[in-house]
Parts: sequence; structure tokens; C-alpha cells
Amino acid sequence: MTSTTNGTAGGGPTNTWGPTFDPYDNTPELIPLRTAAQAGDWPAVRAFLTGLDSVDKLSTASSLLADLPGVENFLERAAAESPADPLPRTLLAERYVYIGWDIRSGARADHVSRDQFTQFHEWLRRAEQLLIEVCAEQPSYAPAWTARLMTARGLQLGQAEARRRYDRLHAHHPHHYRAQVQLLQQLCPKWGGSWDAAHGFARACATEAPDGSNSGTLVALAHIERWLDLDIGEDAAYMRGLPVRDDLRNAARVSVLHPAHRPDWNTIGAHNAFAFAFSLGNHWEYAAPHFAFLGDRATESPWHYVPDHRSAFLKSRKAALESRGGGTR
Amino acid sequence: MTTDLHEHDRDSGLAALTGLVSHTTTQHIPTLYAPASGNEITAGLFFRVGRADETLATAGLTHLVEHLALHRLGLSDLHYNGATANAYTLFHVTGSEEEVVRYLNSVCAGLRDLPMERLETEKEILRTEAAGRGGGPQQQMPLWRYGAQGYGLSSYNELGTRSLTPDQVRRWAETRFTRDNAVLWITSEQVPDGLDLTLPQGTRFPAPAATSALPTTPAYISGDDGHVVLTSVLRRSTAASVFADVLGRALFQDLRQEGGYSYSAEADYTPRDAEFATLTAYADALPQKQDAVVGGFVDTLARLRAGRIEQSELDSVRTKLLKMYDTPDLAAAALPSYALSLLLGHRILTPEQHRAELNAVTTQDLREVAREAWGNALLQVPGRGVDWAGLTLAPQHSQAAVTGTRHRSLEDDEVTLVIGAEGVSLLTPRGPVTVRYDACAAMTTRPDGARVLTGHDGFSVTVEPTLYRGVTPDRVAALDAGVPAAAVVPMPAREPDQIPQPRPRKRTSGPRSSGNGRSTWGWTTALWLVGLLAAAWGLLCGIITADEASATAPEWDAVTGVWILELPLAFATWKIYTARRQRTRS
Repeated sequence: MTSTTNGTAGGGPTNTWGPTFDPYDNTPELIPLRTAAQAGDWPAVRAFLTGLDSVDKLSTASSLLADLPGVENFLERAAAESPADPLPRTLLAERYVYIGWDIRSGARADHVSRDQFTQFHEWLRRAEQLLIEVCAEQPSYAPAWTARLMTARGLQLGQAEARRRYDRLHAHHPHHYRAQVQLLQQLCPKWGGSWDAAHGFARACATEAPDGSNSGTLVALAHIERWLDLDIGEDAAYMRGLPVRDDLRNAARVSVLHPAHRPDWNTIGAHNAFAFAFSLGNHWEYAAPHFAFLGDRATESPWHYVPDHRSAFLKSRKAALESRGGGTR
Repeated sequence: MTTDLHEHDRDSGLAALTGLVSHTTTQHIPTLYAPASGNEITAGLFFRVGRADETLATAGLTHLVEHLALHRLGLSDLHYNGATANAYTLFHVTGSEEEVVRYLNSVCAGLRDLPMERLETEKEILRTEAAGRGGGPQQQMPLWRYGAQGYGLSSYNELGTRSLTPDQVRRWAETRFTRDNAVLWITSEQVPDGLDLTLPQGTRFPAPAATSALPTTPAYISGDDGHVVLTSVLRRSTAASVFADVLGRALFQDLRQEGGYSYSAEADYTPRDAEFATLTAYADALPQKQDAVVGGFVDTLARLRAGRIEQSELDSVRTKLLKMYDTPDLAAAALPSYALSLLLGHRILTPEQHRAELNAVTTQDLREVAREAWGNALLQVPGRGVDWAGLTLAPQHSQAAVTGTRHRSLEDDEVTLVIGAEGVSLLTPRGPVTVRYDACAAMTTRPDGARVLTGHDGFSVTVEPTLYRGVTPDRVAALDAGVPAAAVVPMPAREPDQIPQPRPRKRTSGPRSSGNGRSTWGWTTALWLVGLLAAAWGLLCGIITADEASATAPEWDAVTGVWILELPLAFATWKIYTARRQRTRS
């Protein structure tokens, strides 16, 4: 895509208020979608989404839409009114997934109550049944398969089933970034996978994708997941290690730092993943180009993995940019 | 020797077969015949009686009659056999005309006068046969759909091989193996001379009505690892039989060729009675792949239901089915199917009509069948359930429990057996299992007092006096008095070491693990430490404030100072709390 996102060429704006984690601030092109959704204006939402020129954009936009409280009301009406249209059912299903996940994560996760799990699963089942239909009708419909990776995980349908879903999607969209991010979660030990599977998948995503694709970011995301799982002390040592640093550096080179990279709606998230991962290992000089691109444009993920994500971002950015021999302003 | 067909058979479309298949009656038995090339002829004698006509207590009755009727034929080189299915019994033979005549005459002579001196031996043979047969992955499906009656009985052992009396067996032969409940077919130019198929007069029994043990469909049950099985009930039609082949090919394509999750993947269509057929679909699964087989199975069915059926999928199945009309002895080859239709009262299609129907099947028709198949489906899956795909777990417990004497399990404190005036219940933490005496399909009895009661709905309660407190001979007698005599099946005594003894008591297992633990213990510890410190300092601040307030000259500067120190502690607590929460997200 040729993006009109502000500052795509790098050196994004910084301001005295510090980083913004708001996806709409970071990608103002998405603001009309939010406006339409909050007004319950289905025709406008539909027009916005059907006007997008890539499935990656559609997937990203649909996940943002699914995070807006109350959209299920107009989506339910739209799905009922257009039973043959995959779009409203898929958006509704993804919204159900978010509702369910909010119930599950709302409490302390190690003590999610039986009742919360029941409700969580109930929402996911509602979503899944819509998605089964959509995928049966439109086997190449990426947003539905991507959402089915989330239902498969939440409903604990198993590694092989999640992989089957990804493979069905992969047959039509071999480098679908959001789906790759979802499957990576499933492949981590916390969801029944293994580190071999997670790192192996991330490596495969990176090597199979064309130069400049976001898919190389999976390598960084896998290391971040590994770091998250390690005990305090071990985690920092892991990220400081040279093998991880080199792995990250190679992945960044073939993806978001490659000259062929064309920024899209996932680019900001991808740079944040690299910036975060390099910062965890104090590899400031490697974090620098990512921060330079980002400016103030931060993303909740992965920064929410550290306590004060705002100051962590600022601190890391400062250290990274200073390692280049001077700040930006 | 030949007369007109029975009236009910005359209306069934046999006229349509004129010029293809000849028909007559042989000693009042409707007879279809058509020539085949070759020196040998094949004949079959169908009776409209089978396993579904029995009860659980008499299960095996038809099979016993079949075995006894064939006994006098003894060992011979003749290629013959008998087969007992759910809704029919077939005696069939291939050989010279004389051999076929001798076989059929012998079968009918046997049916007229069963060799009852062989009864116990044949029972033994049937028990041995059953032991060697093994269940197969589909074994449990009929009982979950139909219960322990009618078409559900094929899930069960032939209990009748324990208890049936010569009178019961003779009576069954006299009423069910009659000339009016039979159809004969022969692959020859004319009905051979010398046939003596004299059988008693009787009535044509329609196939038994289907019972239901599934309140809601589509439903699912759990089964063994490595197998996914679906059964459904379809209205019989040409489109439905085509659908079965399309489904089999689609499963093979999706699960084996594309996914590589299965080795076998297939589907089958078998008529059940005049109106309905049973659809069975099966896929095996590698242990590591079975959740993908379940998912793929669900998706393949969803695809067909959504009508995303390629014309080429339909065409290749149609071509295969049309090929069966290429056989030179078409009429002779179709005789068994015509005879069975005549017996069950199903319409008979001429080859032209069937070809025309095959050619008229559209993908839209298949979509309708796919929806019907899903609507009536019962899916057996390994591992976790499939409620996520919109299926309902088949009932695992009875609706209600009976009241009566209560007998605590000696193995599990949470399980209690109730023996009441109306039935027995096993009370478990997850729900009761009840068999009412007036709905008891069979009760097996052991001399040691053990009883196994099975209800028509398929639920079963085992009463082992050694495993429950206070199951005295009196209580067992109460049970015996409640169950209708026709349902009682005495079993032989068990060796002492076969009588179960209580195992160590079991407690309920721990809570289900959620399977997604994450490392938050560090944050939890930090939260406790900082939180306690903040709370303790807060308390101290409160005490100091109260103390100073009651003093004559309060030092408010000092009070403010200690409160200011509380602020960072409270802030740190809050930050650790939110960080810990975020870390638990995935």
C-alpha cells in the first residue's frame, strides 16, 4: 500500500506529552471508522471496510472495531438484515470474542472463576458458530479465519486444530500478519504449545515472506513471549544475549528495516515490537532506528508487558536515540 | 404352483419392472426372478424380521432362528449363508439349480421344524461369534440415538442367547418367518421346479417404528481416541444416496488429501426402513491430529450445508453411480434391491426412472440433504466436546431419580444407590442415572445377587451387593419383584474372583486446570509486600493523626509529613497491581 499515515518515512513526530498509545491517533485514517461505529452507522462502517485495498487492512480494522464497546448492537442488526454478507457476521463474531475475552481477563487471570470461564466460552461459542458458517461459504475470507484462531485458542480446541485453521487461511493468504500473531500465541507453552514450535513458526514466517513484509516481526514477538515466561533475572539475561540480539537484528533487516518495506497499518506495531525487544536487552543502538521511525507512536502491545509503559517507552527511546549520539527534537 | 402376488405387493410398483424382472408367487411367497449369464444361479429368501424387532432381553432371537434353520444343511461345498440385519433376515445361496432348490427347501423345512435339540449349542456358538466380532468405532452410535430398543439393539450383546426358551424361538419362527412376511428372488429364467417352500400363513410386519433417545439434535457423544463418527437419518431419496458419496469424497479430500490428518475417510448410506436411511460418515485420526480431524469434519459438513458443492463433485459421483447400469445382467443384479424394497414397502424405481432421478440431482438438492443430515446428526468425537460447533451433548443422566432405600457406595462417598418401588437410581455428583421397572428393557441376574438393569432409554444401573452398603438379599428381592418377568435374563454364576470387591475410596478430583497458567507469582509476591507495607504505614498515619488531633498542641507538620510518605507506597501498590493484571493478558 502507499500509506498516507503521518510520518511514514520515519522520524515520526514527538511532542511534550510523550507517546500516544491510541491507534486512532497513530493512524488517523482509521478515525472515520471509529466515528461511524460509535454513531452506529452501519452503512458508513461497511463502506469504509469494503473500500480497503488489502485483507491485512481489513483484519486490522476489524480488530479495532471489535474493541469498541456497543458495536455488537448495530452489527447484530446488520447481520440479521444481510444474512448472506460475510462482513457483518465476521465483525460481530470478532466483537463477541472481545466481549468474552474481556470477561475472562477482567479479573485476576490466575483466579478466573468458573462462572467467568462459562461466560467466556459462551461468547466464544456464539462467535465460532457464526465463523463456521462464514468460512464454509467463503473459504478465503481472512478476517473470519483470523478470528477463528482466537476462538480455537479460547475454547482450547487444540494445537492441531489451530494449525489446521491457519493452514486453511495460509492457502489463500500466505503472509497474513494478524493471523500469524494469533497462531504464535497458540504455539506458546501457555496455550499448550512449545518454545520450539513458537520460535520455529516465527522463523518460518520470517523466511517465507517476501523482503520488507511485516512477518519478520514474529521473531521479535516470539522472543518477547519467551522473556515474559522467564523468571525475573533470567528474562533480562535472555534478552541481553547475543543470539537473541542477532536474531532480532536479522529479522528487522528483512522486514520493517528492509528498503522494500512499505509501511501499512501493522508497521507501527511491528516497529514497537522490535523497539521493545531490543530495549529489553539494552541493545540501544539496534532499537534506535525503530524508535526513530516511531516518534511518539506507541502501541499497547507489547509495552503493556511492563509496569509503566509510558515512561518505559520514553526511557527506552531516550536511551536508544542517545546511543546514536544525540537526541531528536 | 404360482399364483398372483399379494395385493399389498401388487401396488408397490412391480408393474414398472415388466419386461425386466418377472414376478410370481411360490407357495404364496412373492417371487422375483430374472436371468443371469453363467451356469450358476443365485437365490435369496428375505424375511421382514431382524434385530430391531427384538427386545434387549430377547436380542439374538432372529439370529438363533437363522442358525437353527441352516443347521440341517450341515457342511457342504455349497456357497450359502444367512444374514440377520436390523430390519430383515436373508438366506442366500449360489449354485446349480438343484443345489439352490435343495438349499431353499431345506431352509423352509428347517423353519417349519426347528432342530430344538441344537438350541443350547447354537446359543453357545452365537456367544462365541459375538465375542470374536468386536465392536468397531460405530458400535455405540445406535444406542445413543435409539436407546436399548428397536434400531438401538445392534449396539448390544445378544442377551437372548442366555435365556431364550424353545417355545420363544419356535413362536418367533411361526409368526415372523411366514410366507406373508417373505420375498424370494432368483437369478434364473424361470422359477425352478421342485421348490417346496411351504411356510405358515402370517402377516407382513412393517419395519419397526424408530424410537428416540436423543431429545435434541444435532448431538454429540465422546468416543475413543482415533475415531470420528457421524450418523444421521435421512429421508430415502436418490439425492440422499448421492449425497452420501459426495460427503465421503469431500471428507477424503479435506481430511486426507489436503490436510493429511486421516488415513480413512468415508461415508455410507444404508436404508433403515421404508422411508428412512442411515447415513454414516467416518474418519480415523492420528493421535496428534485428532482435534484437527474433528475441526475438519465440522467444516466439511458446514461447507456442504452452505451449498458450496462443486458441480464436478456431483458429476463424478453421478458418473460412478450410473456405471452400475453398464452391467450385462442388470435385472439379475438389481433383484436383491428390488426384493428388499418390496419387503419393506419402499417404492421400486425402474432403471430408467433411477437414471432419470440421478441425472436430475442438483447441487441445490445436495445442499438440502446436507442440512437434513446435520439437523439429525449424532457425532462421536474423541477428547473434548464439540458444543462449540453447535452440537448438544447427548443426555448423560436421567431426568429424575426414584426414592427408596439408600445404599452408599463403598468406593466413592459421593455415590449412592437407591432401590425403590418404581425403579433404581444411581445418584452421582453430576446427576442421577435411573432405570424404572416399567421402562426396563432387560435385567441380568447373577446367583450372587448382582443385577444390571438397562432402561429402554439406554441408561443402565449395575447393582453389585458387594459394592454398596446394605444391599441385602431382601433389597435384591424387591428389585426382582419390580422388574417384569419378560425383561429378566439369568446369567451363570461367576467365579469368586470375578465378583468385584470395593477398591480404596475415591475422592473427587481437583478443579479442572485452565491450561493457560502464566508466570505472575513474582508480581503477586511484590503486590503483597508493597501492599502490606502501604497498609501498615497507612494505619500508622491514621493512628498518628488521631493521636495528634487529640493532643493539646497538634504538630500538623509532622502529620502531613507521614502522610506524604504514604503516597509513594500507595502509588507503587497501584502500579504493581496494574502491571500484574496486564502481564496476565495474552
